Amino acid sequence: MARSAALPRRPFPLQPRGAVVIAILALGLWSFVALDLTWAQVLPGADDFRQIGHFFSYAFRPALTFPAEDDVAGRAPLLVQALSAAKLTLIFAVTAISIAAVLGIVLGFLASTAWWAGDPSGARTTLGRYVRRTIAPTVYGATRLVITLMRSVHELIWAVLLLAAIGLTNVSAVVAIAIPYTGTLAKVFSEMIDEAPRGPSEALRAAGASPAQVFLFGLLPRALPDMAAYSLYRLECALRSSAILGFFGWETLGYYVKQQWDVGDYAEVWTYLYALLALVLLVEWWSGGLRRRFVA
Amino acid sequence: MTASAAFRLDRVSVTFNGTAAMHEVDLSIAPGEAVAFVGPSGAGKTTFLRLLNATQRPTGGCVRVDGRCLGTLSSKELRALRSRIGFVRQDLALVPNVRVIHNVLAGRLGRMGLLQSLRAMTFPSQAMSMAAHEILERVGIGEKLYERTDTLSGGQQQRVAIARALCQQPTALLADEPVSSVDPARARDTVALLTRISRAEGLTLCMSIHNVELAREFFPRLVGLRGGRVAFDDAPDAIDAAQLADLYRLSAAEMLADGA
Repeated sequence: MARSAALPRRPFPLQPRGAVVIAILALGLWSFVALDLTWAQVLPGADDFRQIGHFFSYAFRPALTFPAEDDVAGRAPLLVQALSAAKLTLIFAVTAISIAAVLGIVLGFLASTAWWAGDPSGARTTLGRYVRRTIAPTVYGATRLVITLMRSVHELIWAVLLLAAIGLTNVSAVVAIAIPYTGTLAKVFSEMIDEAPRGPSEALRAAGASPAQVFLFGLLPRALPDMAAYSLYRLECALRSSAILGFFGWETLGYYVKQQWDVGDYAEVWTYLYALLALVLLVEWWSGGLRRRFVA
Repeated sequence: MTASAAFRLDRVSVTFNGTAAMHEVDLSIAPGEAVAFVGPSGAGKTTFLRLLNATQRPTGGCVRVDGRCLGTLSSKELRALRSRIGFVRQDLALVPNVRVIHNVLAGRLGRMGLLQSLRAMTFPSQAMSMAAHEILERVGIGEKLYERTDTLSGGQQQRVAIARALCQQPTALLADEPVSSVDPARARDTVALLTRISRAEGLTLCMSIHNVELAREFFPRLVGLRGGRVAFDDAPDAIDAAQLADLYRLSAAEMLADGA
């Protein structure tokens, strides 16, 4: 009888990926113990439930006007105030994203490998080799470091720093949002640029196009729709950041949410929360349509 | 019309990570000549074409275009030379989400400054648009000038890639397996188109091609490549069945790998 071929060696059931998942679960359990958490603390008690229920009961009856005692003469109606807070929230977010998108393209390009790595024609002269081997990787590395620094600090922390440095101005609010968002956009853009198919670039380079032309006409057109779609998505995130900046004194929606929360006027808190929800939904509805067109 | 390029390989070798893809090949191609490169996968056909437009550097020997050894050219001279050699890649390498006119005019980038190219790729002048249209007419899809490239069929996209190469106002056309991406009927059209245009404009044409029948029909000269060496180099009539069978025979190693 012919001997059948030996069975291929069976792999050990626990592969590295499985081990990592188990380790993460174990770490989660351990942190529970380390923090001295008990179920009683984690799960809300009857009292907490009452509080929560009280707050949420106002969800069905948000304030539409100021209470009579607050309604001093000359003060804009509540809904007008909510609208102007929403407007400022939107303006901060849009301005910050516009700045972040432009800077993100520049930094994203520098942080991509597309403009310097692996050009078969390049580096024929000593200077060319020096640029390719020393300068380019340095610029690339430095840009990536800057990008990481920008986005590893949260916009609220940038806001605190800028409050101290510039004060409570429109500029400080916009810059506080723009810095981390530039970092995130630049990182994602650099990946999109690097992931765009290299074929067209190689073909253009082979036809004698310069590196700048190759980037502009071979790579960028392919990456641009994705970049625009992602920027729009980040605009929605920027709206929330902009609203939260109100906690520090800028008169965006968050400002009034915190103010009314502190005095316990939940009805008005809900008014502003609904304004934020409406704003986010509106932008999502508008940008969703645009994004579908971009990536289609 | 423009002059056509002459190619000459002097004892050219190419080594990838220690394995030889091209072994001391001598070959010369006269201006205006049409040559088909046949041979099995991995024989070095693509490497050969890439040597001719200087996207592949030889590890030994010298590739000459119009008598000038490519290794001695400055990067500026090299860029000028490349801008005159049209290369139609197997994967076409078009930008899919732009209009056809942009892909065609991209062929002219090598001879444009940055500002000039920005204009041509956004708001091309009347003359530029007409030039692009005229080239598309020649490959038979003039009406597609303003279509989005990825809405075209595979065969039409291949014509866009050919138009881009022609827009370079080349002295030579190199085509890497232009028939592998289309069905048999279109394959014949494509080969006919490329040979006709090259002949009409006096361009040197080098094509790698799997389909030996098409090569025999359209080319006066066939070069058989196998294992990075020239197996034969002759007129189609002078090449017999035994030579062809030999060219495509599986090596002992390949037969073992196939379990035959």
